[in-house]
Amino acid sequence: MDFFAKIAWIIPLVPLISFLVLMTLGRGFRKAGVWIGSIGALGAFVLSLLVLTERLKPHAVDYSYNFSWISIGEYSLRIGFEITNLTALMLVVVTLVGLLVNIYSAGYMASDERITVFYSYVSLFTFSMLGLVLSDNLLSFYLFWELVGVCSFLLVGFWYARPAARAAAKKAFIVTRIGDAGLLLAILVLFWNMPGHALDFTMIESVFGGQGGVITSGITTLIALLLFLGAVGKSGQFPLHVWLPDAMEGPTPISALIHAATMVAAGVFLIARTFPIFEASPAAMETVAYVGAFTAIFAAVIALAQNDLKRILAYSTISQLGYMMLALGLGAMTGAIFHLFTHAFFKALLFLAAGSVIHAVHTGDIREMGGIGSRMRITAWTFAIGALALAGIPPLSGFWSKDAILTAALTQNPLLFTVGLLTGFCTALYMTRLFVLVFLGKSGSAAAHAKESPRVMTIPLIMLAVFAAVAGFVDLPWSGWLSTWLSDEVITPHASIVVIVLSIAAGVLGIGTGWLLYGRGKTTSRSIANWMPGLVKVAERKFYIDELYEILFVKSLRVVGICLAAIDTYIIGGVVKLTGAAASAAGRLGLRLQNGQVQTYGVAAVLGVVAIALVVIGRRMLS
Amino acid sequence: MLSSYLTLAAILFCIGLYGTLAKRNAIIVLLSLELMLNAVNLNLIAFSKYGAIPSLTGQLFSIFTITVAAAEAAIAVAILIALFRARGTVLVDAFNRMRR
Amino acid sequence: MSGLEQIPILSIILLSPLLGLVIIQLLPGQRANWLKIAVTTATLLPLALSLWLYADYDRNQGAVSYSETYSWVQAPLKMNVGGDWFFSFQYAVGIDGLSLPLLLLTAIVTAMAALAAVHVKKRRKSFFSWFLLLEFGMIGAFIARDLFVFFVFFEITLVAMYFLIGIWGYYNRERAANQFLIYNGIGSAIMLIAFVMLVNTAGFHVIETTQSLQYIYSGSYSDIIRNLSDPSAYVNLTADSIGSNPFALNETKQWAIFILLLVAFGIKLPVFPFHSWMLKVHQEAPPAVVMIHSGILLKLGAYGLLRFGLFLFPVQAREWASVLAILGLINLLYGAILAFRQQEFKLVLAYSSISHMGIVLIGLAAFNEIGLQGALFQLISHGLISALLFLIVGSLYERTGTTELSRLGGLARSMPFISGVLLAAGLASLGLPGLSGFVGELLSLLGLFESMRWVTALAVVGIVLTAVYILRSVLKITFGPQREGLTAIRDARFVEALPMVVLLAFIILLGCYPSVLTDTVQTSVGGFMDLLLATRAGG
Repeated sequence: MDFFAKIAWIIPLVPLISFLVLMTLGRGFRKAGVWIGSIGALGAFVLSLLVLTERLKPHAVDYSYNFSWISIGEYSLRIGFEITNLTALMLVVVTLVGLLVNIYSAGYMASDERITVFYSYVSLFTFSMLGLVLSDNLLSFYLFWELVGVCSFLLVGFWYARPAARAAAKKAFIVTRIGDAGLLLAILVLFWNMPGHALDFTMIESVFGGQGGVITSGITTLIALLLFLGAVGKSGQFPLHVWLPDAMEGPTPISALIHAATMVAAGVFLIARTFPIFEASPAAMETVAYVGAFTAIFAAVIALAQNDLKRILAYSTISQLGYMMLALGLGAMTGAIFHLFTHAFFKALLFLAAGSVIHAVHTGDIREMGGIGSRMRITAWTFAIGALALAGIPPLSGFWSKDAILTAALTQNPLLFTVGLLTGFCTALYMTRLFVLVFLGKSGSAAAHAKESPRVMTIPLIMLAVFAAVAGFVDLPWSGWLSTWLSDEVITPHASIVVIVLSIAAGVLGIGTGWLLYGRGKTTSRSIANWMPGLVKVAERKFYIDELYEILFVKSLRVVGICLAAIDTYIIGGVVKLTGAAASAAGRLGLRLQNGQVQTYGVAAVLGVVAIALVVIGRRMLS
Repeated sequence: MLSSYLTLAAILFCIGLYGTLAKRNAIIVLLSLELMLNAVNLNLIAFSKYGAIPSLTGQLFSIFTITVAAAEAAIAVAILIALFRARGTVLVDAFNRMRR
Repeated sequence: MSGLEQIPILSIILLSPLLGLVIIQLLPGQRANWLKIAVTTATLLPLALSLWLYADYDRNQGAVSYSETYSWVQAPLKMNVGGDWFFSFQYAVGIDGLSLPLLLLTAIVTAMAALAAVHVKKRRKSFFSWFLLLEFGMIGAFIARDLFVFFVFFEITLVAMYFLIGIWGYYNRERAANQFLIYNGIGSAIMLIAFVMLVNTAGFHVIETTQSLQYIYSGSYSDIIRNLSDPSAYVNLTADSIGSNPFALNETKQWAIFILLLVAFGIKLPVFPFHSWMLKVHQEAPPAVVMIHSGILLKLGAYGLLRFGLFLFPVQAREWASVLAILGLINLLYGAILAFRQQEFKLVLAYSSISHMGIVLIGLAAFNEIGLQGALFQLISHGLISALLFLIVGSLYERTGTTELSRLGGLARSMPFISGVLLAAGLASLGLPGLSGFVGELLSLLGLFESMRWVTALAVVGIVLTAVYILRSVLKITFGPQREGLTAIRDARFVEALPMVVLLAFIILLGCYPSVLTDTVQTSVGGFMDLLLATRAGG
């Protein structure tokens, strides 16, 4: 019955084997590298699909298996995997996007001499991401969580010779590691508070989802906030979002796979898996919602003023992840997952299409582009589909998932609903700006020789475009199939005409404004800049967050370092030197006595004898 | 009776000690050493005659000491001559090369 | 299982480097290849045997295994009370779950360092002689079951290290060697005082013969543990036969010995204010020697702290747990922040060692099974990782002639293999899951969290800082544009690549399958915990 769920542990092993084979082969076998990587991804995808089809049958039972990884006395740290509807869905999303990115990279990376290394890293990433998705407890989740982080680091720094790539890789690792510290602490707190020191999600659900009382509300909130810190780091939420735009230094297929579709969504996935903890803590839920909403609007505003194609998309990703967080904070877990699902397709599509453009024009600066649409028709059309899906235009997928989130917001918190709408407006605006500047209008300086990309790159684009268009139909407002399937509860359809109308209005208004501002040949952002120069400047500089962190953390760490170094050299070194000096001073004093004159020694001996005699006589006299 | 011998010996010994430690001329130092030895001999003989258990051992021992002192003086003077040839002086404070 | 119990396997392991030493003396000094073959064999033999031993060791039985005891001298003591009194010097070796992993670590790292010593050009023969003597000392110290045996082997390592640093080091080698000797000499003097006090009070056992009672003093661990852990029996025993108890180890004395031991092994570890000698050693000693120093000798300090400080004085150590934890935290943060500032890769690694030893202290301070396991895991893991890092440093220095960060860069292009291994070692050092460093950190923090939450939270900050300084230096060396003059260098030769691969394989093995280590240690740690619980219940 659940045969494929039982062998789900094989799924991550397939790309792992690809990775190991690629590592042993080395750089030589370029063609073979592409094939091995892609076949690994294909194998994982097929297996995941089989698991999913099995789950689609009614009344599928969750399956989990784990074994003891370290056992110390009565304690046991376990590793295992679990198949639920949620993990099955994530498996398919990850392997599908992974497979398409593998195919696409065969064209995009064709001229790179380290293509085999690239494929091995991608395979390792796929392995880690699948492991993360399958994990049945927080500890093994954390193991893979770190592994995807390091794969992201390796791939961001793939072109290591560039100083910018080096800096970006370092930043990506360190900033997410701050979040990881939160997750680690959350695990520590959970370990010592859970009954039986259990860390698995089933247990978490039964402990926190139950009547409560086992764990105090203070501890619950603490755990939830620490978990959220982990999610903030990984999913690029404010204030730890700074690494994600810089991570665009990596190859574009990587941005699509890791920094749009899968890894950055892991934070959302984490909260979804530990959702009972959050539900048990209203304060944590509120934090998640507000941080998510703020990130959504904040990143969308920054995206308005950026000029790098990939950076705009990166900020857009941050913004959309904020949306998902908002949904989670409002308790709409299925809405968040739904948006994660659709976002994975249309954002991967946008990145791959952007990669196709960059591949053709060799720059990322949208001011140098323009009029590419006529030269690269497939890219332009697929990009348009992705952009419309992102902007929330029905019937494309993004509309339906946004709608689910906004509906949840409207009923609970009008303020957050407004923020959501505003973000929708900004999203439509910056996507219009982007599309117009890149694909329409006069031919830009870099666009003159642009040619459509090879078929190996366009076919994944077309496939993703299809998904981006239709993926929304799994959870229409009046059917709610996905929500029901995910949550195992009958969800009352949540269709709300107000939300649908307002959401469409925001999207259309955004596109309209964008068209007005940029559409008719105004190729630069000057028009807004003249309109409100201060805001544009600030948004262009990303609200000076990087500069602030530079002062706050990097500089202060350096100052602390200087102080400690001074302590090390002067105080500790000083004490050491002083001890040494005292010893050698005593030695020099002793040396004075050793003048080589037997007579001096004799005098000393006589004096000694006299002293001893005096003592002996003195004691006699006294007693 | 005994105490006057001992006093004389003590005086001789102190003079010898002073000479050994304070004189710079190596010959004088040697002479002072001999003086100290003789002070000891005097003690030995005095005790052998007037001590609590008079016996000949003390006198025998003093002869023995004189012999050893003679041998020692011979070696010492030989070294001294060698030193004088090498360094051109008999002042003891010049003889501190072992220090390094 | 049974086969190894029959032969004096530990003595064979111990003596094989000594045999190598003798053989080397007979070889002509000019024949470099002969020397290398002899040294490699002499280090591979203990490696093979200790691997066998590791597999053979019975994990379920926590007691000391494979022990050998030979009496050497029995000096009669004059006592005014009845019975015969002896002071016994003995050769006693044996292993338990605590020393076995460290013995294996020693064998692995030494064998790899012997391979790495290809860079040594000067006076090869005497280098390898001291090298083998060093291994002899280290193995002996780990398998000793008698305080004096431990002390003697401990001192042998000092002497050998002194010459290895002083003759084959870099520019300031003599200064570094002197500083090493002075610090460690003070440490061992303090250790000796503590040992003598211990032997003098707790180190005796009684043999009843038909004629009389024999009181025998020795440094045997088992006697001391037994007498200390059950003070009441100890008092009664002496009180019955002597009338009063002149040897009781009162509270003050116990504290005194505990603190002496803490200082003695703290210098070796090194704990925060005593660390400056170790920086010099890392900077000046030849890489093959630093591999051993950082990989094993620092562990000797932690081993001593654990074996003598904690296991003998659990009550005192428990009371001072917060002190240990805070010292550990200081080590961790202080080392991390200063490592971030260094411009010289060797110094980065030196401060990194200080930082990682902080984690060991944190694990010890946890005072539960998880923490102790974590501390031991961290010991082994850091031993392997730092050995690997210094192996790479040796190869780097040979090619580029520098380890200044500002003069290195972009090496990933010209030597992808070494750079890849360096990156992997760096990731292991910053605690990436799947590599050994993570498990040690995780267990130590997990253990400490039970009793000291805020310290743990701060320690987690330290782990973030670790990522900062490791990435800073490793990426500086490997990533970025290539430097002029560093373009024409070759990647690793086979003889260099082999130890790197072996060490990395062990790091990955421990990271993915930690039970292979934790299960071995478990019975010993569990035994200690039982003991601790017993003393707590009693007192």
